[in-house]
This record gives sequence, structure tokens and C-alpha cells, in this order.
Amino acid sequence: MIKNSLTGLSMLLAGYLLYSSSVFAQGGGPPILAANPKNANLAYDKHDISGIWSRNGTPSGYGGGGTCRDCGDRGFGNDVPPMTPLGQKMFDANKPSYGRLLGSTDAAAHPEEAIGRRRAVPPANGSDPYQTCNPMGPSRALIYPDPLEMNVLPNKILQQFEWGYGVRAIWTDGRQLPKDPDQPRWWGYSVGKWDGDTFVVETTGVDERTWVDHFGYPHSTQMHLEERYRRTAYDVLELNMSITDPAIYTSVWKSQTKKFRKLAVDGIKTIDGWAGLMEDLCAPADDVEIFNKRIRDPAGGVTR
Amino acid sequence: MKNVRPSCFAVLVLGVVATVIPVPAHHGTGVSYDASHPVTMKGVVTEFHYANPHPQLYFDVTDDKGTVVHWGGEFYPNPSQLIQGGWGKRRSEAALPVGMHITITVAPSRAGTPVGAILKLLNDQGEVVMGVAGGNPGAPPEPAPPTSEQKQPEQK
Repeated sequence: MIKNSLTGLSMLLAGYLLYSSSVFAQGGGPPILAANPKNANLAYDKHDISGIWSRNGTPSGYGGGGTCRDCGDRGFGNDVPPMTPLGQKMFDANKPSYGRLLGSTDAAAHPEEAIGRRRAVPPANGSDPYQTCNPMGPSRALIYPDPLEMNVLPNKILQQFEWGYGVRAIWTDGRQLPKDPDQPRWWGYSVGKWDGDTFVVETTGVDERTWVDHFGYPHSTQMHLEERYRRTAYDVLELNMSITDPAIYTSVWKSQTKKFRKLAVDGIKTIDGWAGLMEDLCAPADDVEIFNKRIRDPAGGVTR
Repeated sequence: MKNVRPSCFAVLVLGVVATVIPVPAHHGTGVSYDASHPVTMKGVVTEFHYANPHPQLYFDVTDDKGTVVHWGGEFYPNPSQLIQGGWGKRRSEAALPVGMHITITVAPSRAGTPVGAILKLLNDQGEVVMGVAGGNPGAPPEPAPPTSEQKQPEQK
């Protein structure tokens, strides 16, 4: 009896540990899949990518936390190409706060993960531009597990991101990307077009102060980011990305496949019932002056 | 004895799990705290901010010698998460007035400063406030029944 109980508990523990490490890799999300079986037979237009989409794993699909179980994690991809000397220098200078704690037994137990995922430091000791409300840039914002709304207009698609309340324009009017833009932009310069059932977005000129993902991977302003969106079900939008940036990476970096869940139009509501994306602004006065100075920094043992 | 050994093992299980549970946080602050060594205190609310990136509670804790320590705590759920449990701005602020006596459990900062991530929060009636009842810090807050003064929004 006791042996059985202990065996059961051992299995429970082993199962939990496996689950928790999986959840950690997934960004802490509960086991919700991108596709809802209830929607399996609903018709959809493969060329309609409008609406609110989210990689968030909570039932409501917003409000922080982790990603849905098959939606990919907070990283661009684990198969990071070797970096150039400049890329390595920039990578070493970036101090992220996501991932496994630097120097922890947890980090040491996962040598199979790219080093970027095993070097987190408290934000007070880090250099994450997001901590001071700088825009995240396109690849990182797409990876962030909060909703985005695709507003499809005749000449462009506006992607509005809930966290940060940022807007990015993807032009579909046939214009060509600038070859060497005079001024880099936080969101870069983007154009998009349909290739069969895949919506392809090309981006360049992204300000190199942004990171590729939460783990502090760098890029140059010459980075060429390709996004390939496919609507694979009524409620699933699949995204594959690739980065070509010879100044930083010695070969093309292909992303892990990311999936978004489709949220109902009235799926996100304020306490008063006002539907639509939350105004999850990162306001410098609140974020930097209050939160960082009084919570984040002392939590990391830093006094400024 | 038969009952004791599995219980001891269960405690061990929980202990091990507690040390490996990642502490996800919306804003990446999870690594600042040590969730495996939670601390429970009695305190008095001095300030409360319902804001992004995480709501913050400031409170005073008086030790046995009468020394007052000013603590700061962040809630893991941000406002967008809190409203899903019915904890809007007005209700939250009404629940945590200055002077409210609280019992609070935090994951303390690894730096040893009087700052923590709030894991559990009880008011002077022993009621859970803000839905923070000691569960997974990355989970949405638990809904609480509305009081007569604070009407729960309609849930669809």
C-alpha cells in the first residue's frame, strides 16, 4: 500500500517535473492548445487574417502569463546560428531577464538550450530595453504572448499590439522596401503580399536597440526579417519567421513555428464590458519612475 | 505510520516542486524573487498603485522590537489579468485603503531587500484580496464573490 502510494507520488512528481519544465519552456502557459475543437468544422477564408489573435495560453487569451501549449515559446528559435564577432559582442552586452536564472542549477540542468535562454538576471541588473518602455520591435512583439489585432485596410495591414499598445504598418500597396533607409525605425519598414495561401511580410531598417526576442539576441539595422503567415484553421494562424543578418549571424536563422489563437471580437473586455484590446500601455512615468525605482530596482539590490 | 510516510513524501514532493516552479512574470521580474522561500508577515497598507506593469502595494511591518520596516510588493497579475477575476481598479483600491491591516505572503527579493512578489494577501477579516490566494503566480487571479457595495461585472 505504502509502496504503491510512494510509487504513485513518484510518478506524480516525475510527471509534474516534466510538465513544469515543459511549461517553463513554453513560457508558463497552462495546457491550452491553439485550436479549439469546437471550431473544427467552422468555415474560414484562408486569405482573411483580420481580427484579434493571441499566443496567450490563458482561457481568455490575454493579460500576461505564458503561451498556449503548441504556440511556441518566448524565444525566436533554439537553433541559433553561430554569431559573427560583432554579433557575439552585442549578444554579450545584452542582459535579459527572461529564461533560466544565470548561474542557477536550473540553468545548468538544461545544456540543450541555447545559452540565451539560460542567462537571466534580475531586471534591475539587466539591460532589457523593454524594461524602460522602448518599443519591442516586430519579431519580439509578435512573440510576446499577448493579443495583436490585424486591421486589414485597402493599402496596408496595421498590426496593433496589446502590450505597449503599439502599431506597426505592413504596406500592401506594391511599394518596394527601402534598400538602405536613412533612419532606422523601432518597427522597421515592412511590405506584405500574398504568395498562394501564405501572407509574406518583408521587413528591414529595424532599429538595432530592439532585441530579436526576450532572450537578448541582437540584430543590425541591415537585418532582413521575413514573416510567413498561414491561416491553417478557423481559429489558428501560423507564423514562421527567418532572419538574414550577415553582420550578426553567419547563416539564416529560422524561427520556431509560432501559432496564434483567434479571439472573439468581444473576447477582451474591460471591467465595464468595453470590448477590444486592452490599453496595456507601458507608460514611462509609471513604469520607470514608480515601478522600476520602488520595486524593480530594490528587488535586484540596486539603488539609483 | 502508514499515513505518515506518504504525507512526509508529499511534503518532500511539494518542497521539491516549490524549488523548481518557475516564477513567470508579465514583465520579466520573476527572476528577482525567490519563490522557494516565501515569507508571511502582518502589516499595514501605506500605498497602493493599480497600474502597469504590475500593481504595487506598499506596507509597513513592525517587528518585535517596534522597528518599522517599509515593504514594497508587486502583484504578479497586471490589471488586464486582475479584471478577469473581477478585480477592477475601483474595487481593488477600495479593498486596500491606507491603514488596512493585512496578512501577506511574498516571494522575497533575492537581494535581501524588503521587496517581494505577492503570493497571498488577506485583509483584516481574513478574506482573500485581489484574488491572490497563494496559487501559481502566473495564473489569473481567482474570482472573489462581490460584496454588496461592489457589484460584480456581468460575465459572458
